[in-house]
Amino acid sequence: MTVLSVTGLKVRYSAKGPEILKGIDFEVKSDDFLAIIGPSGAGKSTLIRAVNRLVEPTAGEIILLDHNVCDLNAKQLRELRRNVGMIFQEFNLINRMSVMDNVLSGRLGYTGNMRSLFRMFPKEDVDQALYYLDRVGLSDHINKRADELSGGQRQRVGIARALMQRPKLLLLDEPTSALDPKISREVMGLIRDIARELKVPALCNIHDVQLAKEFCNRIIGMQDGYKKFDGATETLKDSDLEEIYAMEVL
Amino acid sequence: MVDQHTPPKWSRYKYPESLYKHGTLLIVLLFLGYSLHFLNVDIPLLLGALGGLVGVVGDRYYPPDVAYVLDRGYLAAILDTLQMSFLGGFAGVCLAIPLAWFSAWNVSPNRRVFFPIGRLGVISCRAIHETIWTILFVSVLGFGMLAGVSALTMFCVGFAGKLFADEIEAIEMGPVEAMRSAGANPFQVFLYAVVPQVRVAFTGIAIYTWDVAFRAATVVGFFGGGGMGWYLKRNVQQLENLRVAAIILSIIAMVLVAEFLSGWLRATVNRAK
Ligand SMILES: Nc1ncnc2c1ncn2[C@@H]1O[C@H](COP(=O)(O)OP(=O)(O)OP(=O)(O)O)[C@@H](O)[C@H]1O
Ligand SMILES: [Mg+2]
Repeated sequence: MTVLSVTGLKVRYSAKGPEILKGIDFEVKSDDFLAIIGPSGAGKSTLIRAVNRLVEPTAGEIILLDHNVCDLNAKQLRELRRNVGMIFQEFNLINRMSVMDNVLSGRLGYTGNMRSLFRMFPKEDVDQALYYLDRVGLSDHINKRADELSGGQRQRVGIARALMQRPKLLLLDEPTSALDPKISREVMGLIRDIARELKVPALCNIHDVQLAKEFCNRIIGMQDGYKKFDGATETLKDSDLEEIYAMEVL
Repeated sequence: MVDQHTPPKWSRYKYPESLYKHGTLLIVLLFLGYSLHFLNVDIPLLLGALGGLVGVVGDRYYPPDVAYVLDRGYLAAILDTLQMSFLGGFAGVCLAIPLAWFSAWNVSPNRRVFFPIGRLGVISCRAIHETIWTILFVSVLGFGMLAGVSALTMFCVGFAGKLFADEIEAIEMGPVEAMRSAGANPFQVFLYAVVPQVRVAFTGIAIYTWDVAFRAATVVGFFGGGGMGWYLKRNVQQLENLRVAAIILSIIAMVLVAEFLSGWLRATVNRAK
């Protein structure tokens, strides 16, 4: 089953600025853990962020969970975004809030304004937050402030927050680039295991080709706004990598 | 092919920028000279006047009538002024927070409707001076504290609204994006991604606003808003110079106390980050 299908996606950040994505097509199937690799500036983050319209596409079509993303109004877009968990390179936690409140904030899309104001989340949500905090190994840190945690721990909070949405797709923008190699492997492993457990497909930007090969079943290679490679991980050859990273070698 | 390296040239101000920079400075200086000339400012006379001022003050305003400012009636007026600044500051800050949210470009709930409303609200409060607000409110509500508090409220909305909005526009956008991507609405984004980042700064600004409101409250009183300023006006009109001197001294003392208190409170808040 296709969860996400993108056709002819183009993005410019400003009317006069350069075209960052120059017509991208790809699909994410329900059992995919898909990596996007490519040199810095290729447009990987732009692509991921266009999927849930954190960046507005200038042309093309995005069909996400049977909705045409570009046609939705603000309210419909919020309802669709609830189904898409996002994990960020810089974690994007709320530093001055507790770990628990950070995780609960993943439920905001399902919570009314009054409850949000007084942080009165339903008991099911609190129980679920406790479960996911345990799952990512942070049971001992529930009441700490987010800025008291290490990088790896912060990203685990980010993962738990995304899972709170009961996502039908995970968007990961270099989830491990801010972490050291050992912690990176642990965190990637955790994300992959949870994605399998919950049967959620994932679309994941990765800098590190080695990590991509290790954890992902399919790889998309990007360069300068174009898709240069798309196929199963086993089919990625060194010559493909050379082509994708050609700009950097020069 | 021979690679010929000419050493790169560098200067701090390149041609067009240097022209703008020095040109602006020249215009400012020229205008300053022109204004002085236009005003016919006579420097020696100005210096002489300063000496005269000291003489007049010593002559007419000394010794200040301290007993007058220690009187029950005047002490009550000090309390009135304090209450006015608290009420005005509180109401002003409460109104300024939503307006600042509307008028912060990065997280405004709606850039086409709420943004202009917020900007216009804050700007119109700032555009009108607190004395003019007082005169306006006195003409509608009559003399007294209600007019004074209303005028101070408008003043505080303008003062705090601008500072709040600037603070909101300087936040980190990462958490905002995280909340948006989770499907949070603009109000929830404000609560969860903005408020935690600006809480400490807002508290400091609110205290500062009270401090400034207290100073403004004396002026507001002078124009009919009640409190210390009102006493000042009456005594000025009755040429009770010794009492006027004492009142001015008491205002200075109170402003210093307020300034010190607000500085100390703000430092405490900042430490609690
Ligand atoms: N908000 C923005 N406004 C204008 N241009 C932007 C913006 N964000 C990114 N760009 C430009 O878009 C291009 C692609 O950026 P993007 O972040 O998508 O690359 P990336 O592949 O994720 O790179 P990296 O591996 O360094 O994260 C870059 O040239 C960048 O300058
Ligand atoms: Mg990126």
